[in-house]
Amino acid sequence: MVNALAWFSQSGVVQGLILGAVLAFLTAILIMNAVGRAITTTVNGWSAIRKCGQPGNGILMRAACAKALPVVNVFEEAAYWTTTMDGSGQTLSGRHGYVLHFPAGKLPLNDAFWSLTPTDVAGYMVNNPTHRYSVGDRSPLAQNADGSVDLYLQHQAPSGHEPNWLPTPSGKFKLMFRVYLPGAAILDGTYQLPAVVRAQ
Amino acid sequence: MNRLILKYGRPLTAVILAVFAWVIYRRIASGEEIIPLAVAAVIVWGLGAPAFIYLWPRLTVNGYKRAIVKHGFGDGPIPVNTLYAVPGTSSPSVSRGSVMATGADDLLYIGGWLDLSKGPQVLHLPDMAGRYFSVQFTDPSTSANFAYVGKRTTGTEAGDYVLSGPGWKGTVPNGMTQISSPTDSALVIGRVFVESDSDLPIAYVLAKQIQLAPLKR
Repeated sequence: MVNALAWFSQSGVVQGLILGAVLAFLTAILIMNAVGRAITTTVNGWSAIRKCGQPGNGILMRAACAKALPVVNVFEEAAYWTTTMDGSGQTLSGRHGYVLHFPAGKLPLNDAFWSLTPTDVAGYMVNNPTHRYSVGDRSPLAQNADGSVDLYLQHQAPSGHEPNWLPTPSGKFKLMFRVYLPGAAILDGTYQLPAVVRAQ
Repeated sequence: MNRLILKYGRPLTAVILAVFAWVIYRRIASGEEIIPLAVAAVIVWGLGAPAFIYLWPRLTVNGYKRAIVKHGFGDGPIPVNTLYAVPGTSSPSVSRGSVMATGADDLLYIGGWLDLSKGPQVLHLPDMAGRYFSVQFTDPSTSANFAYVGKRTTGTEAGDYVLSGPGWKGTVPNGMTQISSPTDSALVIGRVFVESDSDLPIAYVLAKQIQLAPLKR
């Protein structure tokens, strides 16, 4: 008995168990991240996962969803898109100004509301002097002559376009676009958000 | 804590792996046996990775359970079978690492943990008068939303819903709708739309009226 214990402590089995557990954890994270990427659809720079939260998802899908979007709504309840990149793949930063251009009638249709929120890269809202932290269907957005709508995403107020201004953090940031009770065109995938375009 | 892990996760992982590499190198260099270590590591690795993946949804939902039952959202722990409405929307002043840091500045959240092991609970909804809201029920073992009550699924009229666990055999009172939970526990997340700052008090009064009570025998 004592011999067995001595062998156990000398043999490296304990280190092996710890090493195996750490490797198992890292492997699980890598697999869940990979599955998360595989079930993410990205169009015009906006990423969404449509399958999370549904009963009947397989083990890998459930785990990847719990990791990427813990306890998230099902897509037909609320559609979420996020991006940290503009339409040309450059990282979003408060050092630049961006425009989100919705052609006439192409604001996202829904039975509840929509909202666009900038956060820091970790997902936290950042203070700004105007205390405007989102724009959405309730914002008094100005339309262009052709009925289209431009949202100005920049750190400083765009002169002449204040109603359509969404203040962004000064550094790198993330955008979250949420549509609650999304319309049929969003659910069947025919509707796509426009790309975030860096202003000249 | 989460923020630290996010920021330093990779260097931390590299340090841990470097320590293991050094330990193994020392064993080999000093002529000690490496086979038992390697066999133990490979077995635990091979069994552990699928186990972590399988358990991940449960670990995640249990994190929310802890947040609700142990910490609450500002007014102390929230007992099981109680719904707590957070008085304000998400804002930059919400503390870092809080589950309330959702970036949703147009929703009031309601949180609670359902325990049906001692009998069904009744979810009461006030008349939401067309307002967007939802109450999501999440299965802790799979993290699947097995039921919704709200504008999309049940409408915005006042109502009572009987939440029953797997073994329950009773009868649902007249005028109530049954929702069967796959397990005796469930995470409850409610969301009530806030139109504007001036609408916040009205939304909060409604959110507080979304409540649970034991089913009377």
